[in-house]
Amino acid sequence: MSSGSIFTEEKNPRGIPRAPFIENVEAHLGGPDVEVEPTLKQFQDALAKYRYMDANLTQRRQGLEEKIPDIKKTLTMVEYLQERRQGKSKANPFEDQGDDLEDEDEDEEADGSKEPLKTTFELNDTLYAEAELEETDTVFLWLGANVMLSYSLPAAITLLRSKLALAESSLRTSIEDLEFLREQVTVMEVNTARVYNWDVKRRRERRERGEAQGSGSSTKEIEGT
Amino acid sequence: MAASSAQPQQIAITDLDLPQLSDVRRQLEEELSHLTNSFTQLKQAQAKFKSCIDNVGEIKLQNKGKTILVPLTNSLYVPGKLSDPENVIVDVGTGYYVKKNRSQALKHYETKVDFIRTNLETLQDTIQKKQDNLNYLLSIIQSKLQAQTQAT
Repeated sequence: MSSGSIFTEEKNPRGIPRAPFIENVEAHLGGPDVEVEPTLKQFQDALAKYRYMDANLTQRRQGLEEKIPDIKKTLTMVEYLQERRQGKSKANPFEDQGDDLEDEDEDEEADGSKEPLKTTFELNDTLYAEAELEETDTVFLWLGANVMLSYSLPAAITLLRSKLALAESSLRTSIEDLEFLREQVTVMEVNTARVYNWDVKRRRERRERGEAQGSGSSTKEIEGT
Repeated sequence: MAASSAQPQQIAITDLDLPQLSDVRRQLEEELSHLTNSFTQLKQAQAKFKSCIDNVGEIKLQNKGKTILVPLTNSLYVPGKLSDPENVIVDVGTGYYVKKNRSQALKHYETKVDFIRTNLETLQDTIQKKQDNLNYLLSIIQSKLQAQTQAT
């Protein structure tokens, strides 16, 4: 009877078991007369698990790939606000590329302690309105799930930076895991094919042996009579 | 036998045999699902424009100088003051943004809503007709099937 689990103790850093490549089908099964059905079923189960993990990871990766540019934009914006707060320096007009989220025009006053920032913000998909940004130390971050918190500028920057780092590393590990999974799926499929072929070969050998014996015994009978 | 050729086709439907009838049925069902999709999308667009109308209503004169949370990105909001309650910027398509005053913007959105409404009505009629065609076809298929099983 084949061993209980076909997985060795090897796992990748995220706990995905490595699929063993079966060199000698017969040795793995445990004998020339063992049924392959249970083993094949194990392989199919393992394959199903791998595929499920693959689907999960792909989904996670897509979600992350969407979130990361967003976090980057938010971080850039907060850093810009921080810069304006700190500097009396002439900041260049800030332009948002790509998405037509908003246009910012800077309203610079000579030696203003109050430098209101005029911005066009999005009310709706096709509707924008104008507003003046107050000078404030606080920004509000939408954390999702109907939660919005206010942060001071430096705290916001710290938070966004850590979120970005986390998302990026998560994305990297997801991509690694996906590659790893793809390898293991291939290994498992090859194993399945080999076990199946071995079984086919064995059946054929059995049948041939059976026929040889059958013809052998019938010859004996003829001789006997 | 049902009356022949109530459809806009030259061949009488009743003259087609079963595989052809199921082909026609499948074609009709595809068209129907496509039309229904378009209908749903139009409805969504209409709802969006209606909400734009509401939004324009929010930028009322009395809100001038009120503190609002201004979205700078999807997840970043900054407190600010509504500086210009008379004008809004409307995306009129193909990359053009036009600054209109509130009544102009309202009119623009209402025109859009009306336009979609007429389209929706036409679409609704077409869908209804296709649905009727499909039902008629299904009944023909039924009767043919019955005739076949009775003959065998």
